[in-house]
Amino acid sequence: MKTVKLASILAFLVASFFPGMALAQSDPGVQGGPARAGSPLASVNSSDGTLQFFQNGLARFQDIESVKNSPTGNNGLGPRFNFVSCSGCHLQPAVGGTGPATNPQFQVIANGFVSGSTNTIPSFITANGPTREARFPFFFDQFGNPNPNAPNGGVEDLFTVSGRSDAGSCTLQQPSFAQAQATNNLIFRIPTPTFGTGLIENVDDSTLLNNQAANANNNLGISGTFNHNGNDGTISRFGWKAQNKSLELFAGEAYNVEMGITNEIFTQDRPLPGEDMHTGLPSSCLNLSGGGYPEDTTNFATKAGTDQFATNASIPSDTVMFAMFMRLLAPPTPSTITPGGATSIANGRRLFSAIGCATCHTPTLSSTQASNFTSSLGNAPVNAFSDLEIHHMGTVLADNVSQGGAGGDQFRTAPLWGLGQRIFLLHDGRTTNLLAAIEAHDANGSEANQAESNFDLQLTTSQQQDILNFLRSL
Amino acid sequence: MRTQFARLLALLSLSISLLPRAQGVPQSGGDFSNNPEARKLPTGTILVTGAWSSASDSATPLPEGGRVGRNAYSNPYFGLTYALSPDWTEKYSGPPPSDSGYYVLAQIRPADTFKGTSRGSILIAAQDLFFTFTPARNALELINNNKDKLNAEYTVEQPPTLVTTASHSFVRFNYGSPVAEIHWHVLATQIRCHMVQFVFTSRDTKLMESLIQDMDKMSLPHEAGPISGRGGGDVPVCIKDYASGENVLERVDPVFAERRFNPVPVRIIIDKEGKVKHIHFLSAFPDQAKAITDALSQWRFRPYLRDGKPVEVETGIMFGRAPRLATLPSANAPNE
Repeated sequence: MKTVKLASILAFLVASFFPGMALAQSDPGVQGGPARAGSPLASVNSSDGTLQFFQNGLARFQDIESVKNSPTGNNGLGPRFNFVSCSGCHLQPAVGGTGPATNPQFQVIANGFVSGSTNTIPSFITANGPTREARFPFFFDQFGNPNPNAPNGGVEDLFTVSGRSDAGSCTLQQPSFAQAQATNNLIFRIPTPTFGTGLIENVDDSTLLNNQAANANNNLGISGTFNHNGNDGTISRFGWKAQNKSLELFAGEAYNVEMGITNEIFTQDRPLPGEDMHTGLPSSCLNLSGGGYPEDTTNFATKAGTDQFATNASIPSDTVMFAMFMRLLAPPTPSTITPGGATSIANGRRLFSAIGCATCHTPTLSSTQASNFTSSLGNAPVNAFSDLEIHHMGTVLADNVSQGGAGGDQFRTAPLWGLGQRIFLLHDGRTTNLLAAIEAHDANGSEANQAESNFDLQLTTSQQQDILNFLRSL
Repeated sequence: MRTQFARLLALLSLSISLLPRAQGVPQSGGDFSNNPEARKLPTGTILVTGAWSSASDSATPLPEGGRVGRNAYSNPYFGLTYALSPDWTEKYSGPPPSDSGYYVLAQIRPADTFKGTSRGSILIAAQDLFFTFTPARNALELINNNKDKLNAEYTVEQPPTLVTTASHSFVRFNYGSPVAEIHWHVLATQIRCHMVQFVFTSRDTKLMESLIQDMDKMSLPHEAGPISGRGGGDVPVCIKDYASGENVLERVDPVFAERRFNPVPVRIIIDKEGKVKHIHFLSAFPDQAKAITDALSQWRFRPYLRDGKPVEVETGIMFGRAPRLATLPSANAPNE
C-alpha cells in the first residue's frame, strides 16, 4: 500500500515539474510481432519453378560452410572470413534481412567456428551489438601510423581458419584491430537488408535519371549523383555506396569477401588489403578445401531432387542461387496502424515529404522494367524510399572509404523500407535510436542539413513523433 | 620554355606525392607494440574525397569561395555581401559543388545565443545555368520551373513575382506546406550566368519578412537581375556553349588514364587573346582535372568582341561520360 502511494506521489511530481519529459518525441523502437518481410514475391509459384528456386536459394543462404570435409559438401570457407553463413548476419527480422539482436560473430569461438587459441574476438564485436565488417581507411606504415597518402578501405576480415581442425597448417594472423582502433583508422559496415532488392535491380537507368532531374532545384541544398559500374558505365545500386551493379555481383563479392569462398565471379582466395600487394596468401593457406578453384561452381551433376524444378534449382552455383533468393524476396510490408495509429503514420508520411526527407528518400520509383524472371518484378513500383543516388553526408558519417565513384563522405540513400524492424541503424550500426540516426545527417559538408534542420527546428514535438511513427511503420 | 618548366614542376610534385607510398610496406597488421604513441587520424575530417571541386589557380575567385564572417556573408566571385542579423550564423558548411552545377553557398541558422522564440533558416545557394538539369535559360525561368513542379505537399502562397531588393531586381516566390505549417520564401537573381538564391524557411512569416527586409542592406554587382546577370564590366562576360563550333580554333581532347563515368562540369575563363586563363572544375577526380587541364592549355578560341574590342569570356564545358538527361539545345542558350 505504501509502495503504491509513493509511486503515485512520484508520478505526480514528475508530471508537475517535468511535463516535457512525458511529451518528448521518442523512437517507437523495433516493431514486434510477425516479421513484415521474408516471403517470396506474389508471383513466385511452384508451377513455373520459381518457388523451388526461391526455397533452394533460401536453404543455401542458411548453409554453414566448412573449410573442407563438410558432410553437406559446403566447403571452401576462408582462409579469412567474417562469418560462416549468409543468414547469420542477414537475419533480422527474417532470413535475408540485416543483423540480429544477438550477434553471432561474438559466438564464433564458443560455437567452434573459430579457434580460440589463434583468434580473439575484436573489441567492437559484442554480444548484443551489430554484426559488422571492418575496414581500415588507410594503410599503416611500418611504425603503425596510418598513412593518409595511402588509402586502403578494403575489408579486413575478422577471423582466420588457423587452428581449425579442417584448416591443415594454414597459419594467419588477424589484422591489427587494436592498432586500428587506437589510431582512429577503423570503420565498420553492417549488412544491408536484401528484401525487395529484385525490384531495385530491375529499375532502368532512365527512371533514376528522371527522378534525379525531378528532384533538382529543390531549395533544400540537395544535389546527388550516381555511382557507375566500371565495366559498362551503367548506374550501380547495391551496397552502402552503391558500388555493386547487380545482385549476382553482390552475392559473389560477399561470398568471397565475407566468407572466403571463391566462386565463378571472384575466382581467387582473397588476401587482405596490403597482402595482395606483396606476397599474397601463403601456399599453406591455398586450396584448403582440396577441391580446386573456384570453390563454388555450377553443379554439373545434380545433387538432389526428384521433380524437374527441384532438380533444376540444384544445378546453379551457390552464388547464382543466393542472388535468385534475394531477387525473389518480396519487399517488406509496412503497417498502416502501428506504431502510433493510422492518423499519425499518415501525417508522418506527409511531413516526411514536406520537410525535404523524401527528396533523397524517394518514396516510390515508378516503375520497373518488364521482367524475364517473374511477373511481380515487372512494371512495379519500387517503394524503397531511396533515389539510389550517392550524396555527400558530411563529416559525422564520412568513413573515408572510396568505392567506385563514391568518395569518403558519399553514401547511397539508404532504402528505408523495412526500417520498422531494423535494430541497428546507419552504415556502421552506431546507434539503435532513430532520432540519433536523423541527427547524424546534420554535419559540415552534408546535403541533408536543411532537411534535418527543418525536422529539428521547425516541427513541433507532435509532428516529429508522427515522422518517427511513420518511419517505424515501414 | 615556360611550358617545360611547368612540366618539370608537375613531374616533381608527382614524385613527391608518390613518396609516402614508397616508404616501407603498407600493412594491415603486424606487431606495432614498439610504437605505442602511433599518430591518430583526426576525427570528423573528410580525408578521402571523390570527385570534388578544384581550380587551376588559387587567386581567381570561385563561386564556392564565399565565407560567413562575423556579421556578413561575402562572396567575391558573385560580388555580393549579405549582412547577417545579430545572432544568426552558419552552424555547418554545405557540401561541395555538385556535378549538375549546384552550390550550397551558406546555411544560416540562429546561433545558440539567439533569444527569439521563432526559428528559421536561410539557405544561400547557386545554380550554374550552364549545367542545370532544368530547361531554364535564366533565374526567372528556373524559379518558374520550381513552382511548376512543387509536389502535392506544398501550396503556392505567392507565384514568382519580380520585386526590388537592395536596389536590384529579384524574383520572389513563396510557398508553404499546410501539413508542416512551414513556409519557404525564395528570392533569386542572376549573376554571372548563375541563379543565386536566398531561401528563407520558417513557421513564422513575420520573422521571414523581417529577414527579407534586411536583404536591403546587401550589396550586389550591377549586372544582378533575374534575367540580366551575364557578367561583363569588371568580370568576364558569360556565354553558354561558347566553347563550340567556329569559336574553337584549336582543340585537343583530354586523354584519361582511367575510365570513369561521372559528369565533369568545367567553367573556363578565356582571355582576350583566346587562350584559357582559368579553369574551375566543379566536380572532378584529380586525374580527370589534370588530363583536362593539359588539354585545355592547348585550346585556342576566337576572341570574343564587344563593341569591336576583345573581352574576357566565361563559359562551361561538360566533360565526362555519365548518362545524363539532355538540357536545352545550345540554340536556346542565353546569349548576349
